[in-house]
Amino acid sequence: MHSIGMWQKLRTAYTTVYQWLDERLGLGEMYTNLLDRPEPLGNWWNTLGSASLFLFILQAATGIFLTVYYTPSPDHAYDSINYIMTGVAFGWLVRGIHHWGATLMVLVVFIHMLRVFVTASYKYPRELTWLVGVGLLLLTLGMGFTGYLLPWNQKAYWATTVATQIAGSMPFVGDFILKALRGGPDLSALTLQRFFAAHIWILPAVLIALIGIHLYLIIKHGESHFPTKED
Amino acid sequence: MKSTHKFGMNNETKEKIKKRYDQILTRGERFWPDSIFKDAVMALAIFLVLVLLASFVGVPVEPKADPSDTSYIPRPEWYFLFLFKFLALYGQIPLLGKIEWLATVIIPTIAILLLVVMPFIDHKSERHYSKRVLPISIMGILVVSMVTLTLMSDVPTGPTLVGALQTIGGLVIPSLAYILLLFVFKNMSNKTMIWTAGITAALMIGFCGAVLALYQAPPSTTETVATTVVEQIQAGQQLYSVNCVECHGDDGKTTTIKGVKGLEGKQIFAINSKDVLNTLDDPALEGVIAYGRPDAGMNPFGKAYNAQGLSKSEMGYIVVFMRYMWDDRFEKPTLKPLYPPLAAGEIPSYEAQIKPIVDRYCVSCHRPQKVNRSYLMDTYDHILKSGDDAPNVTAGDMNSILMQLIQGQRAVVSGDGIDAMPPNGKLPADVVDVFKRWVAAGMPNTAADAKALPTAVPTAKP
Repeated sequence: MHSIGMWQKLRTAYTTVYQWLDERLGLGEMYTNLLDRPEPLGNWWNTLGSASLFLFILQAATGIFLTVYYTPSPDHAYDSINYIMTGVAFGWLVRGIHHWGATLMVLVVFIHMLRVFVTASYKYPRELTWLVGVGLLLLTLGMGFTGYLLPWNQKAYWATTVATQIAGSMPFVGDFILKALRGGPDLSALTLQRFFAAHIWILPAVLIALIGIHLYLIIKHGESHFPTKED
Repeated sequence: MKSTHKFGMNNETKEKIKKRYDQILTRGERFWPDSIFKDAVMALAIFLVLVLLASFVGVPVEPKADPSDTSYIPRPEWYFLFLFKFLALYGQIPLLGKIEWLATVIIPTIAILLLVVMPFIDHKSERHYSKRVLPISIMGILVVSMVTLTLMSDVPTGPTLVGALQTIGGLVIPSLAYILLLFVFKNMSNKTMIWTAGITAALMIGFCGAVLALYQAPPSTTETVATTVVEQIQAGQQLYSVNCVECHGDDGKTTTIKGVKGLEGKQIFAINSKDVLNTLDDPALEGVIAYGRPDAGMNPFGKAYNAQGLSKSEMGYIVVFMRYMWDDRFEKPTLKPLYPPLAAGEIPSYEAQIKPIVDRYCVSCHRPQKVNRSYLMDTYDHILKSGDDAPNVTAGDMNSILMQLIQGQRAVVSGDGIDAMPPNGKLPADVVDVFKRWVAAGMPNTAADAKALPTAVPTAKP
């Protein structure tokens, strides 16, 4: 008897709290509009978009942890990462996930693009979703490019030297772009600071905005279906 | 009502697409829980893969960036490797290959632009694969290109068989296929196109496989990277022993240089003193090593001035070594002993005991191109046989030149005299004892040789 009374009290408490929140947040509407949506029959190829989103969130979370110890200066960047790997509890795991997550994210986003291409999901009414997606692919590559320099090791330093040189081979504007990327004629503390700012502020801000638009468009038009002979 | 747009489709088609989609939805699933379930499984799988990669593969360690090391072969991130390789292959094309920006700027820009305008070029409503064989074939060849170019990225391009195979498989075949598909077979049947794309892909994979099978990678010379403090101290000590002991002594105490060409009698700072360690921070110490102090007689060791010099990481290890060994503000961690300790009566061997001792105290001078009366101590044979006064050490002879010198005596050789060794300090007693035991027992080379010898008559007090 006593336990049933407890149970009922809990239920009433839950209902009261839920109703209070629902009136103010519109939880019910959220459920019907966001979650209880009809979709075409999907398969595992349809998970690549959400996998990209998951990887982005994972990269953001591990990246934020890394900034706690990372120092973007040529004198300390390398040693601060060495400290993350050897001195910080589970630092190796967080950095390991961030390192491999970057690789996997480039792969997953690219395969996601291929899937959309093969099923022609970029066609009416989803042209804008595709356009934003192309932006997301380029931004992901940009994140990889800027993040690669941050460990300030030999591989990072020389890879960035070569990549910025390639950008510098552009006719007319090459020299300007090279200097804008490097913050001067050579790779220096300024380059590292610049890449760091782009990696943790500028590119993620644009990425988040574009991800928002991408998701809005997916909800608006619904996921596309796999084409059949009729399509 | 019928109206056509500049691009895109007429309203009728749009209505048809919407109707068809609504129909599909009636036979579909729910976002929650059907799709979300799959998404969650995928996310979990990705997370597990990442944790496994982080735990069992880890992040490869690399030496610190060293702008003065121009010998480093740069490689971009792995997902740009295909572009890098494409650039190398493209550079071989006569005439056109000389215009670098065509490949570095124009081609990537065209690729990105194609992606951007795709929905507008391909604006017909057809979606099924059978109606889109041409674009899918081209994309397929492109993806195979990217994969094979990435796989071949380590193989050098050049006028060799491997180079030719790369050019054919990576550049000629896909280019031909694009031309065939876009211009020649334009209105051919799906079958022709699929066969063309399939054969192209198979050929590209075949050529790539041949290149990888024929190419033998040179043994990689990677610099060892020390990550933990103990590893860094040990790496620093080894580097210090070779490069610095000559002038500064094994303990950094030396204030007057002895036995070094051109620097004889030079007065220097004791680098283990507080005057040095407390007033110079790590970058300053690294700066002294890299740039030297020409007026004080110190050579530059950085790669900018000395091709055989030290890398940025290596100079860092030496500074870590100096701090932890001599700076009393740093707590010295427990380090491995210099040589494996010997039991009473146990016979030392060159490999196990003598080599690490010699490397620490002697090799800095007793290596080629130093003042050392041609006595080299870098190998077992050299220790036994080299030198102007050879032999410097003989099995069983406790009065050989080497034995006299390391015990602080002056040795007389062919009318000349050599002062005690090392010139800037005395060897620790335990080290001298190891030498005594080793010489008395017959100077075994390997640990196995030492074991095979009958236990020696103890020559020194244990």
